Amino acid sequence: MKKYTLKRILTSLFTLLAILLVLFILMQLMPGSPFNDEKLTADMRAALYAKYGLDQPIYIQFFRYVGNMLRGDFGVSYNISKNTPISQLIQSRLPISIQIGGMAVMLGAVVGLVLGIIAALKRDTVFDTVATIISVIGVSVPSYVFALALSYTFGFKLRWFPMLFSAKDIFGSSVLPSVSLSMFTMASIARFTRSEMIEVLDSDYMLLAESKGISGPALIFRHALRNALIPIITVLAPLIVDLMTGSLVVEKIFAIPGVGSLLVTAIQSNDYNVVIGLSFIYSAMYIGIMLVVDLLYGVIDPRIRLAKGDD
Amino acid sequence: MKFDRRISRRSFLSAAGVTTAALALTACGGSSSSVAASSAAGSTASSAAGTAQGGTLNIMLETEVQSLDPQVATDGTSFEVIADYTDGLMQMDADGAAIPALAETYDISEDGKTYTFHLRDAKWSNGDAVTAADFVFGWHRAVDPATASEYSYMLSDIGQIVNAAEIIAGEKPVTDLGVSAVDDKTLEVQLNVPVSYFLSLMYFPTFYPVNEAFYNSCADTFGTSPDTVLSNGAFKLTDYQPAATAFTLEKNPDYYDADKIALDSLAYQVIKDSQQALMSYQTGALDMTLLNGEQVDQVKDDPEFTSVGAGYLWYLSPNMAGVPELANENLRKAITFALNRDSITDDVLKDGSAPCYTAVPPQFATGPDGSDFSADQTKFADFCAYNADKAKEYYEQAKSELGKDSFTFDMVVDADDAPQKVAQVVKEQLETTLEGFTLNLTVEPKKQRVQDMQDGNFEIGLTRWGPDYADPMTYLGMWVTGNSNNYGLWSDADYDAVIDECTTGDLCTDPEGRWAALYEAEQIVLEQAVIFPLYGQCNAEMISSAVKGVEHHPCALNRVYKNTTKSE
Amino acid sequence: MAAKAIRVGEAASPNETFTAADFELKHNEAEIAVDTNFAAQSFWKDALIRFFHKKSAVLGLVLIVFIVLLAVFGPGMNSYTYSGQDLSQKNFAPRVPGIEQFGILDGSEKMSTTTGTKVTNAYQEKEKLDVYYWFGSDLYGRDIWTRTWEGARVSLIIAVAAAVIDMVIGMSYGLISGYFGGKVDMVMQRFLEVANGIPRLVIVTLLLLVLQPGMVTIIFALMLTEWVGMSRIARAEMLKLKDQEFVLASRTLGAGSFFIIFKEVLPNIIGPIITQVMFSIPTAIFTEAFLSFVGLGIPVPQCSLGSLISELYNSFTTHPYQIIPPIVVMSLLMLSFNLVADGLREALDPKMKSM
Repeated sequence: MKKYTLKRILTSLFTLLAILLVLFILMQLMPGSPFNDEKLTADMRAALYAKYGLDQPIYIQFFRYVGNMLRGDFGVSYNISKNTPISQLIQSRLPISIQIGGMAVMLGAVVGLVLGIIAALKRDTVFDTVATIISVIGVSVPSYVFALALSYTFGFKLRWFPMLFSAKDIFGSSVLPSVSLSMFTMASIARFTRSEMIEVLDSDYMLLAESKGISGPALIFRHALRNALIPIITVLAPLIVDLMTGSLVVEKIFAIPGVGSLLVTAIQSNDYNVVIGLSFIYSAMYIGIMLVVDLLYGVIDPRIRLAKGDD
Repeated sequence: MKFDRRISRRSFLSAAGVTTAALALTACGGSSSSVAASSAAGSTASSAAGTAQGGTLNIMLETEVQSLDPQVATDGTSFEVIADYTDGLMQMDADGAAIPALAETYDISEDGKTYTFHLRDAKWSNGDAVTAADFVFGWHRAVDPATASEYSYMLSDIGQIVNAAEIIAGEKPVTDLGVSAVDDKTLEVQLNVPVSYFLSLMYFPTFYPVNEAFYNSCADTFGTSPDTVLSNGAFKLTDYQPAATAFTLEKNPDYYDADKIALDSLAYQVIKDSQQALMSYQTGALDMTLLNGEQVDQVKDDPEFTSVGAGYLWYLSPNMAGVPELANENLRKAITFALNRDSITDDVLKDGSAPCYTAVPPQFATGPDGSDFSADQTKFADFCAYNADKAKEYYEQAKSELGKDSFTFDMVVDADDAPQKVAQVVKEQLETTLEGFTLNLTVEPKKQRVQDMQDGNFEIGLTRWGPDYADPMTYLGMWVTGNSNNYGLWSDADYDAVIDECTTGDLCTDPEGRWAALYEAEQIVLEQAVIFPLYGQCNAEMISSAVKGVEHHPCALNRVYKNTTKSE
Repeated sequence: MAAKAIRVGEAASPNETFTAADFELKHNEAEIAVDTNFAAQSFWKDALIRFFHKKSAVLGLVLIVFIVLLAVFGPGMNSYTYSGQDLSQKNFAPRVPGIEQFGILDGSEKMSTTTGTKVTNAYQEKEKLDVYYWFGSDLYGRDIWTRTWEGARVSLIIAVAAAVIDMVIGMSYGLISGYFGGKVDMVMQRFLEVANGIPRLVIVTLLLLVLQPGMVTIIFALMLTEWVGMSRIARAEMLKLKDQEFVLASRTLGAGSFFIIFKEVLPNIIGPIITQVMFSIPTAIFTEAFLSFVGLGIPVPQCSLGSLISELYNSFTTHPYQIIPPIVVMSLLMLSFNLVADGLREALDPKMKSM
């Protein structure tokens, strides 16, 4: 197991490097230029390219970037926030995205699991229908409509929560964005939990456990849920990364200084370093979480642990 | 010889009030009333400022600040914030005219090529005095190829400062720039040719001073936090980080004119969703906010609703070099006559934008006689105003000349709200009026649209242009042969000759003659349908009735709060 | 079954002996015939019968058929076209002949302005009393009914095409990767990590900028980015099943890898796969909606449900009736796909056969 873990970590690092290279190539393919003001002349643009070393061949840019990155220097922004180090942008914005995304994941996963378990246990009853309707609404209404409706009702009409993100009241002003963000996760998890739980509940080993006299919460949580968890974790993992790395829509509506809107603006304005820096953070989180999930599989399901022990 | 020459500019107010009977134009709907309120308040502000009219002004922004480095910033938001805490040699009055700021007085040599500014006693927020050397350092930065300032052309092509162009091109050292500190309080500037609007450039942030010692102490972090900027202006930065969505400034007690500043602080909030912004405004969290055109239905009876000129001219640019059909003048005329601009502004945009029938939009350039260059929108209306019969007539001619019965063109459009709306209406109008005419829309992010147009990789483009300085040349200079913004690659020797005469020729010293020549040039552009002007952009805005004296300007500094008051 | 066998064993007492007279013919020929018939039913026919026994699944199917029919015929049901503008008739509230007499859907709307609420009726104000917009008209005076169904058509095509292509690619990838394990799995998973580790938006934007924007490009972009989830599910399921006895048995009997993957394992995991396909339909519609939101969706004036919602979103607080039809249609579509998915899942799962 130790050897396997070490191997997985090493390959993850190589994967990250590969992603970085692919990102560099993608940036080259991107039409347009980071210096896109309509008033800019060709000479001026050439001067800007020279200033930032963008006139160099791509492999030189790549190795220079990797070298700088190892020293913690992700370069500077070209147009969103001119000449600001990317690391400074990430430091100020990523924690906010992680905090709101984290709240959304917790909320979505917990509520989703509960709804899913109830729906599975009380299959084809009123509870099932209600849980299904809640989760269907969650997956079928776009989050920006949700966000605006929540903001209108609880922020504007009832004034329970602030409508805009504020650094002075981070928790209170994160409630509405987290709820709107969590809807999709909650719905996905609820649907998936229901479907997995039903399958597990109908399986022979549940019959065996039941016939051994195990019942109640022990049966559901120790035996049923544990077996249903693998596919659920598989679904949840990428959602976690997506939520933690910010959402353009929710950030836009609640005026949150997160990284989601930053990435979209950067892509639209060809701010290469911002795109690469943020994508890289995203990739690192993604690969990190995949690594954890992969190792978790083994903890949850002994059969997978055995299979990996063979490697 | 000592001048106290104030560039005479006809006020905004009269621009909006000019009657243009034939076309019934309303330039930016409610803007007249807003400006009336602000200029009135502006004149009383000095007397009223002593009384407690302060408080915090909560301002909505659509985009984050891109840079607080005056020589690097290029966007309106950054300019506005930089100007909140920095003064240049000159500043704008309520009507947009240049009046002295850090320059207490100035002299202009008789040939109009040497400007000498005499600075007043002012202090940076670290206690240093503002000296002529600070301006020299700032201007050197602006032309230094190492800074690669995108607005360096303000010093070279537009400002015509001696050696600026050569320094930008890397042919001469920075120190050769035609600006020098005679002593701590005297700044001398040498120009290649007389530039009639030179003083009005001085409120443009690219020309702002930078304290060299402080700049060097910040190294690469200049302008990234309250600790790495210096204020010499009305306010000072108290809370800011790069790309912040909320930041604040408070009144600078050491400002030389501090007595006249009524507000205690400015609180900026970036909100990108206009419906959310209006709700925040209604809860009182904002004092000023922008609206989208759809929301105007909700607020049009509200006295706090106003519409403010944004300075941009939106127009269609046909690619005459790349598309043989569009090289046909009759086809171009058919298109421009088929565009119903009133319908675009009144039915779809609804934010107060006004139809435009000139190549230079109204309300920013004032001539020697004090009148707005484009106040008379009927002047060239015969060359472009909507007329379905004329459109069809020219269309038939074009058909027979080109030997084609149907035409299909692609139009590149920004993936933003307003341009997409306009493009859909333009498509409908052209296809309905001109039989067999098809316009396909290619919607792409703005950066790519600009790039496509600059590369000539387009057929028709929906584009815009904002004025850089208060002279029609900021527009007319675009259609000179070889200009990078002459997207259609149109070329006309007569036109080039007129423009040349006005920029560096004899007409430089003859304001009236120059003005007449500029009209001549504009007529050539419209008569040959080089562009199809659409409308002058206005922004729909809500401004709380408690707030008075916010000054709006179409160029350089969009909003100025020096004379603003807020009653509780 | 084991339990039953024991009970039979107990009933038979070892001491008794049977004679021929103890037995008689049961005369159950009819039942035997039925039994034979039943056993001959194919797996799919069997599934179909079970599917139609589930009411919610049938309801879902009916809804899908209903929406598909409207998507096909709806745009032709009145004289408007999806792109035809009439700026003199913009922002008209819904008005339906017949129903208007009851005081609802009569073209009047309540608008909350900053100066109070007001009720207006554009049909009366503009004296267009012979005009009817069933779902209202948008800011260009285009018929929202026609646009909604046109949008539903585009969204359905995009979503179904993307989901099916996803399924084929993602499932095969996941099954193969999971089945072979070892080095193959290693390489395939690393490739997947690289592909998935790059934020989707970066790839999709690039693709849409480089290729001509349009429906096919969007399907292509969705396909490139959505298959990963499917392959993960398939791989996880494969890992669960591949060491089980029936796979071992099949392999012992000489079955090839291809046979085992697609004939032995696949039918056993069709439940989760179908659930995932049904999830990738809303995901596809959403991703398209998101692309519209950032200006990379279906090019105007064409529309999809997603682009309609993001376009009409700007009128959310001004003319809320405009955004309701596409949202309702989209939600119904999602609901019905989910119900059908559930029905199919239970019908197709061989492990649930006995119940």
